[in-house]
Amino acid sequence: MNLKKSRNIRSSSSCLDGIGRQDGESKRKRKMAEITQALNATPVNVATLRRMAISEGGLITDEIRCKVWPRLLNVPVENIPEKLDEVNRENDKDYNQVLLDVQRSLRRFPPGMPDEQRMGLQEELIDIILRVLQNNPQLHYYQGYHDIVVTFLLVLGERLATALVEKLSTHHLRDFMDPTMDNTKHILNYLMPIIERVNPEVYECMQQAEVGTIFALSWLITWFGHVLSDFRHVVRLYDFFLACHPLMPIYFAAVIVLYREEEVLECECDMAMMHHLLSQIPQDLPYETLISRAGDLFVQFPPSELAKGVTQECTQQTAASTFTDFGLASAQQRPDTVLRHRRREQQQQQKNGNAVDPQRGTVAVFRPGARRLVRLAVMGITVALGAAALAVVNSALEWAPKLDLQFL
Amino acid sequence: MAYAYLFKYIIIGDTGVGKSCLLLQFTDKRFQPVHDLTIGVEFGARMITIDGKQIKLQIWDTAGQESFRSITRSYYRGAAGALLVYDITRRDTFNHLTTWLEDARQHSNSNMVIMLIGNKSDLESRREVKKEEGEAFAREHGLIFMETSAKTASNVEEAFINTAKEIYEKIQEGVFDINNEANGIKIGPQHAATNSTLAGGQGGQQAGGGCC
Ligand SMILES: Nc1nc2c(ncn2[C@@H]2O[C@H](COP(=O)(O)OP(=O)(O)OP(=O)(O)O)[C@@H](O)[C@H]2O)c(=O)[nH]1
Ligand SMILES: [Mg+2]
Repeated sequence: MNLKKSRNIRSSSSCLDGIGRQDGESKRKRKMAEITQALNATPVNVATLRRMAISEGGLITDEIRCKVWPRLLNVPVENIPEKLDEVNRENDKDYNQVLLDVQRSLRRFPPGMPDEQRMGLQEELIDIILRVLQNNPQLHYYQGYHDIVVTFLLVLGERLATALVEKLSTHHLRDFMDPTMDNTKHILNYLMPIIERVNPEVYECMQQAEVGTIFALSWLITWFGHVLSDFRHVVRLYDFFLACHPLMPIYFAAVIVLYREEEVLECECDMAMMHHLLSQIPQDLPYETLISRAGDLFVQFPPSELAKGVTQECTQQTAASTFTDFGLASAQQRPDTVLRHRRREQQQQQKNGNAVDPQRGTVAVFRPGARRLVRLAVMGITVALGAAALAVVNSALEWAPKLDLQFL
Repeated sequence: MAYAYLFKYIIIGDTGVGKSCLLLQFTDKRFQPVHDLTIGVEFGARMITIDGKQIKLQIWDTAGQESFRSITRSYYRGAAGALLVYDITRRDTFNHLTTWLEDARQHSNSNMVIMLIGNKSDLESRREVKKEEGEAFAREHGLIFMETSAKTASNVEEAFINTAKEIYEKIQEGVFDINNEANGIKIGPQHAATNSTLAGGQGGQQAGGGCC
């Protein structure tokens, strides 16, 4: 195999960050064994791999990621050519822009890396981007794309990264790669409905401040690569996103806002202040907790649910592009089953006197002070639905082949 | 912090011309040789003093890339001042000024004060756009003009403060309706005219308190 020097530079440091010390090591060993087993099965047990990527600690090391990420994206490693296409930089319409952006991406590389090695990687980064764009003229480069590509490069090396980024760009990132950001704005419209359903008070506060959703733009289109400074957190999130529905980054964005409830409620009710507060992402987030909460929210409020409100909000719906596909894809069976199950439970609760709107299937009618209740409800679901992660896995599996059909 | 007025600014111009660096130099008095590019909009604030009055500048720094335009445009609305920036070492950033100007004029209020800035004046050896060209463009379109360096801080204070002075004068002349926030001007909570000594002062942002 054509091992690049960039490979595995971080694997030693990327151990499980969510697991306690004592039993951490044994859990980690068990998980690694399970992943190996899933990889060696014929056919490869992709469902298990997805579950591993989502569950606590994610895929543990970059070495494992090299083997699992291609599976999650359904990229057959055997078919990747040994030699990459030459990149013609001379007449490339994007070259100058990409060069400018890559030059400004120093922060994305490990702090201790020797300049020479970093500069080599930056050259590779430019090549990967230009190669994918040249092969797919329908895709338009956007600033922030390089923040995603650099993560793949650092974990996988140039050859594998090229193949995976190409797949990702024609699927998960497709909407961001239109000539305009209109579809991206549309995707951002999913953010507020999620927040509203979980915590109407936070929602109300944000609405009053008219903060909009642009604070989450860079989160969405870089999968948080642009804003998180610790690379281990970034790859952990990528494990999660690669295993899930393309809209999962929006759920994760919502979860971050909700996690900062107190700060939001205390913030001056002013667009600028609120935008500033929300766009400064805390670096010490409890990632494992937030990941599992995002999974729960996805199950509770799947995109198909949210879509009703969203389309109303977005009056001029542009080329539906991937969104119709996502719409198709998001009509999964499993989360809806879980949702129905929850609904029944909630109706039961309502009989017992809790504030629940059965129409929307969500805890929705609130008096001030009901906030804690809502929070507990969400946390309760986290505990109760250990199956939530599994549902996310299965839904991801269900849409994956459909998406492939759509695009091939 | 009490202020007499709040002025809202936007900074626009091609990607890489130094918009974020200018803002950082103005709010934090420092230069980052490799500044991260801006995705969407970022925000900075600083207090200045004009005519003995505390004025808070609320500055929106926008992404330069074309495809973000539909997103950043919505921030033009309600701006009292705009810094339109090009890079004196990159001719194309100068050539795009007309588009930027049309875009800004179309989506903002007609009284918005626009300051044209030729940035990176420290890179004299790589200059591609003569100072006279900048001046001519500004004259032709009724803009104020300045060459700055976010690196050496040359003219950075002046650029932001002169824009504020112009806005302030327009207020005095009654051109701006200060009761209409859509003009990018807000009257402070306490209209207290303190006799502050120095222009400038508090960098960075202030924490707010109590909402909704
Ligand atoms: N020599 C010199 N370099 C500068 C100056 N201002 C900015 N730069 C450099 O130019 C590059 C781009 O600056 P930014 O402030 O990020 O540019 P921007 O206009 O905000 O770009 P976008 O966010 O992409 O729209 C940075 O790497 C800076 O170091 C200057 O006055 N002199
Ligand atoms: Mg910038």
